[in-house]
Amino acid sequence: MDDLLHVRSLVNSREGTVKPAIYTDPDIYRLELERIFARSWLFLAHESMIPKAGDFFTTYMGEDAVLVVRQKDGSVEAYLNQCRHRGMRVCHADGGNTRAFTCPYHGWSYGLDGALNSVPLEKEAYRDQLDKSKWGLTRVTRIATYKGLIFGNWDATAPDLEDYLGDMKWYLDGFLDRRAGGTEVLGGVHKWTIDCNWKFAAEQFCSDQYHAPYTHASAIQVLQPTAANKADGSPLGEGQTAKPVWADALGGVQFSGNGHGSAFFFTGKPDANVWVGGQVSAYFREHYPEAVARLGEVRAKRLAGHNTMFPTLSWLNGTQTLRVWHPRGPDKIEVWAFCIGDKEMPDDVKDALIKSHARSFGPAGFLEQDDSENWVEVQKVLKGHMARRTDFCMQMGRGFEERRSDGIPGLTNYTFAETAARGFYQHWADMMSAENWGEIEALAKVSEKELADV
Amino acid sequence: MSQIHVCSIGDLPPGEARRVEAEPAVAVFHVGDAFYAVADLCTHATASMSEGYVDDDATVECPVHAARFCLKTGRALCLPATEALRTFPIVIRDGEVYVDMSADALSEAAE
Repeated sequence: MDDLLHVRSLVNSREGTVKPAIYTDPDIYRLELERIFARSWLFLAHESMIPKAGDFFTTYMGEDAVLVVRQKDGSVEAYLNQCRHRGMRVCHADGGNTRAFTCPYHGWSYGLDGALNSVPLEKEAYRDQLDKSKWGLTRVTRIATYKGLIFGNWDATAPDLEDYLGDMKWYLDGFLDRRAGGTEVLGGVHKWTIDCNWKFAAEQFCSDQYHAPYTHASAIQVLQPTAANKADGSPLGEGQTAKPVWADALGGVQFSGNGHGSAFFFTGKPDANVWVGGQVSAYFREHYPEAVARLGEVRAKRLAGHNTMFPTLSWLNGTQTLRVWHPRGPDKIEVWAFCIGDKEMPDDVKDALIKSHARSFGPAGFLEQDDSENWVEVQKVLKGHMARRTDFCMQMGRGFEERRSDGIPGLTNYTFAETAARGFYQHWADMMSAENWGEIEALAKVSEKELADV
Repeated sequence: MSQIHVCSIGDLPPGEARRVEAEPAVAVFHVGDAFYAVADLCTHATASMSEGYVDDDATVECPVHAARFCLKTGRALCLPATEALRTFPIVIRDGEVYVDMSADALSEAAE
């Protein structure tokens, strides 16, 4: 173990405390880029975004700009978007189709396979002495796909993607595998910045159902089927669910290991949450039997709830938002949000879903705004010296963890509990203080045992 | 063997190109109703014109550094290229496309 910055003294998942310096310290942030973002499986793109040879999508792994490229043989590769000559971005487009990536600085040009194919004045200036085979784009060490989602990892020794997902796979399947044919990205990518540390967003989607009834009270208020909102007291939208799922649903929160977590609910009907349009809710009701056949009743009905796959991939069932919290320094993130729909959805339902998605969790979404307001304000408070030294309380539901016998995986607890947050930060501390994946896994064994029997 | 077989007319849809292995390698294009053949190697740097972006006005943009060439004359239409691509006559016979690489054709193209 090599706890360079003593992060293990800042996170105490056993006692349920966190020192907020982890959200502000530039040295910690630099180490995160190395030890978290260069060793974890990170979401790159959805397969539906790059179907043909030469299709590409430009994104980030942490702060590293990368190109995700469909190869001529149908496989996917990813490379640093950085010319090997002077480091310029070789591609400035958000995405598209190309036959080459040519650096705009001096004109070095790379093929879809990352190979350096053409160097201006190669004969005259390099005297034919440049070994082009040694100067291809830097390839992302490992690429793996899971049910349409493409992931990359820089660490050759990290566990395979499916082992890394562990129990989280069960929850991810409920999002991606409701219908035959899988999913696709609907519409474009919404991108915006929030002035907060990436862990506020990632942890909330991992573990925090607790904020919803209070933070989102105004949103829930305006959606209520009351005479104050609509004269006849009917719901605002045709077929729209009447109230938030947590109002009368039993459920829980779960920690899947490796920092992943989510909430689940036992609802009576297969209804999307109150902020999803009636047409979309009707679609989920109509195709409920297929979802039950594929996933079983609990997951087929799970059309609400939050999830994070460590470190920065989060999604919400029902509103169908999948987002990456790209870190941009200790106090800024770039949110990239994708609307995920079943391929088999009729076009009018796809349109309705795109609208529901944007209205609730788009950059100006009425729920999204509530969340980012909190994160931004906490980040501002943490400019204070004393504020950074003052412990946060993360003790909710401590000691009430259980392993269920009904097939719902993960270390679970009541809906309003911080079990997954404690797991999230412990995994963060383990990754930050371990020299390699062998150590991370050894530390995880101890941490997860401690988490389960406080 | 002065004429090299490229393909059947139907095998090269409009807007597409094909590289023909010869000395030198040739890029054959189908634009609108016509076929054109030019040297495949860009005159500016290492790039295959058959991988280029074909326009309806019978021009091709180099896929590497974006120089544009006229497919009818081979002329370089913009920087960074300054030298023309060699052109070769196309022969269509019985629905098959051939490039004429005879010495006469080559010297004609070089003029």
